[in-house]
Amino acid sequence: MELKGLSKKDMLRFKNLANEREKVIKTEKNLKLDLSYKTNEVAKSLHPTVQYVKVDNIIKENENVKTFVLAPDESLGTTKLAYFQAGQYVSLKVKIGTGIYRRPYSISCSPKYTLKENKYTITVKRVKDGIVSNYLFDKVEIGDQLEISGPAGNFYYQPLRDSQNIIAIAGGSGITPIFSIARAIFDGVIDANMVILYGNKTKNDIIFSEQLDDMVCKTNKIKVVNVLSEDEDTEFEKGFITKDLIDKYLSEENSFFVCGPKEMYQYINEILKEYAIPKKFVRHDLFMSDIETKGDEEYNLLVMYNDMEVNIKCYGDKTLLAAMEEAGIPALSRCHVGECGFCRSKLISGKVKTFDTHLRSADRRFSYIHPCSTYPESDVVIKLPF
Amino acid sequence: MNKYDVIVIGAGNGGLVAALELAKSNKKVLVLESHGVPGGMATSFIRGRFEFEASLHELCEYGSKDNQGKIYELFTDLGIVDKIEFVTVPDAYHVYATSTHEEYKMPFGIDNYIEKLESYVPGSKPKVSQLFELLAEVDEALKYLESNKDNIDANYLLEHYANFMKVAPYSVERVFEALSIPKKAQEILATYWVYLGSQTSKLSFVHYGSMLYSYIKYGAQIPKKRSHDISLVLTNEIEKCGGVIKYFSPVKQIIIENDKIRGVRTQDDKEYYAPRIIGDISPNVVYGKLLPKEIVPKQALKLTNSRVLGARGFSIYLGLNQDADSIGLKDYSYFIYNSLNSDKEYEYMSSINDSTVAVVLNRAFPAASLAGTCIMHFTTLFMGDVFDRALTLENYFDLKNQIAKKIIANFEKTTGIDITPYIEEIEIASPVTYARYTKHPDGVIYGYKGTGLDNLLPRIMNMENENFIPNLYLCGGFGVRLSGYSSTYMSGKIAASLALRDMKGDED
Repeated sequence: MELKGLSKKDMLRFKNLANEREKVIKTEKNLKLDLSYKTNEVAKSLHPTVQYVKVDNIIKENENVKTFVLAPDESLGTTKLAYFQAGQYVSLKVKIGTGIYRRPYSISCSPKYTLKENKYTITVKRVKDGIVSNYLFDKVEIGDQLEISGPAGNFYYQPLRDSQNIIAIAGGSGITPIFSIARAIFDGVIDANMVILYGNKTKNDIIFSEQLDDMVCKTNKIKVVNVLSEDEDTEFEKGFITKDLIDKYLSEENSFFVCGPKEMYQYINEILKEYAIPKKFVRHDLFMSDIETKGDEEYNLLVMYNDMEVNIKCYGDKTLLAAMEEAGIPALSRCHVGECGFCRSKLISGKVKTFDTHLRSADRRFSYIHPCSTYPESDVVIKLPF
Repeated sequence: MNKYDVIVIGAGNGGLVAALELAKSNKKVLVLESHGVPGGMATSFIRGRFEFEASLHELCEYGSKDNQGKIYELFTDLGIVDKIEFVTVPDAYHVYATSTHEEYKMPFGIDNYIEKLESYVPGSKPKVSQLFELLAEVDEALKYLESNKDNIDANYLLEHYANFMKVAPYSVERVFEALSIPKKAQEILATYWVYLGSQTSKLSFVHYGSMLYSYIKYGAQIPKKRSHDISLVLTNEIEKCGGVIKYFSPVKQIIIENDKIRGVRTQDDKEYYAPRIIGDISPNVVYGKLLPKEIVPKQALKLTNSRVLGARGFSIYLGLNQDADSIGLKDYSYFIYNSLNSDKEYEYMSSINDSTVAVVLNRAFPAASLAGTCIMHFTTLFMGDVFDRALTLENYFDLKNQIAKKIIANFEKTTGIDITPYIEEIEIASPVTYARYTKHPDGVIYGYKGTGLDNLLPRIMNMENENFIPNLYLCGGFGVRLSGYSSTYMSGKIAASLALRDMKGDED
């Protein structure tokens, strides 16, 4: 084989590679290993595993809705709240009695507000029998310390996919992420137009009314249409959000952002089907698909974690995560609808039912489950990831 | 309860293979991983109705039952070869150069490859055939070096692998020139350079050549259930052999007592004990953070500081709402370069650039997504700190979208295939994302830049000398075999074999 310009001498060079490498390393003068990489700093700042906050203010929006203003709790080491994309949520962790609970709450302020004020707002509706919402409502006061996750979730405007004409459909407290997106449009963080079709029972249920009105007055990019199902008020649309109503605000191409109670999703999905809109133009915030459970039968749940095995009770109509939360087992979770994968655990034995569509194919193969969206149908043994 | 023979820090490709090797040798192994899923880069994620592959373009050195590559042999040894379903990538690559409006489409299989190249560059065949003969020798020589790493006989090498010895110290470009391969054929042959992150004038011929040889000879495979399946098969086997894996358990410190490794302390202050540690983690973090300062020798600091961080990665994942045929995506992998001259291209990639390697998953595995849809992913490299400099906290989301838009537009313009209207799901991973999930300095995805004296061969030759802390063995993409799936899997095997050798030494 002819290797032009290469000779036997080059074989010696090969043998010397190791020595040459050693020589070069010896000439290095810097003996300080600097680990402050900008990219890693930004990553840490955007994706903290935990953020310690203090309740800075509480605003009563109406009888059943409160907004909590959260500021970093420097005494526990959080100095700056993570920036986020409008529409994302944080998972709030609280200890109530012997239970440890986590709940996702949409951030209701705009990203710009967080950047400027170093605060988040979350807006909480009191849910009947809701352990966490009632606790927040009745027990939490200004100055209290809370623990939240970094911002998470995929319910945000993505300019490479979404239409610039957004039709937001919000039901009740489902307005919270929509309000944040509206704010971001108003602040110029997002370049889009948005019509908000906002459904409530009565006029008193409407929240953020003044702020929405204010934005509508100051920009053409945002429109708000209130729809009341139980009030006879000439000022507002009456009844439910219908196809006729949506028709009035349709542009040639639209992205629908939908957030509200479960019933509303079903109802709106039926309407959207009539338009035959491609899936890409319909975005849902966290929502649970309907699942038929076999009643509230009691089962045993054995949880393996931290080199321990703990036996607790679980029930056919409650998720495995709910059982663990109540028992004070520190299972991790974020979205609570099987989407984020944070609670991923291994099913060792037992029969379960899940509405989860977000399990990876290999996870399914090896019997991993998302306890947040999985119900027992027999005694169950699961292994947490730690 | 918390005493082990070996603790593995990091459940990446290297860490998992090392852990399984040890567990299969009846060693008590604990793997500690800071994230909730194993695999490091080897994982997948779901958006809407799509499951995206996080990082694997094509596994090389695997092959098939009848044409076994090194990874096939490794997986056979580990007892997992039948447990993962692979599909074969149809063609080698379709490469475009936007500045010169060239495009070439190359097949797998050495004879087919040489013939196709002859059709593009008439007269290239004799020289390119010689190249592949040389690469076969390089492959044999590397096998010899690996299996005799403690006792390399220079005379044997000279006798059997004289050509290998001659070319070993040189770059791809230098050896291509020495073989008198026509310039255009050189450029087409060099297409894969981007997978190793350095231009052919600086890239070791042996390193690049062995990769090219492996791809063309064995083809490339991808696992049907994404690389996450490989990671889960590995963890499942580790656990079956009695190994313990703990997730959400980041290691804070390596505990040293009387100058000896004693164990590790996790972020939540739990302690686990073992006399040996395998770290699937960058030396920067090991020497700069995990070990007490007084124990880190000067040479380790000098070595680490003398190295240059490799390419930063930027990836776009698209779930498209039409199938690949309807969209016109005919190929599995598209290399979109500005220039086929890798020096020029490297320069181009040292800016916020729109060159990219795009993969259409469904072209290798039609059922990768639901009928009527397909999955694409794009990887773009940033050389040096260009992304870091453009980045601020405030512009982050915008910056990501702007870069992604540019890359997609370049793909569309170059190939004439529209994809934007079909985007149903999109996710973008930037160096920030990689920093978040891998903890790699500045979110690099290729470890240290593998050029000059930090090439594959000098790393292998000095491997033992650079094991600075007794009973601590490093593997992974920053390791001796450099980055990439097959390299990191092999690095785990090497780390485990060193640990096993030392354990045996202790017993004797």
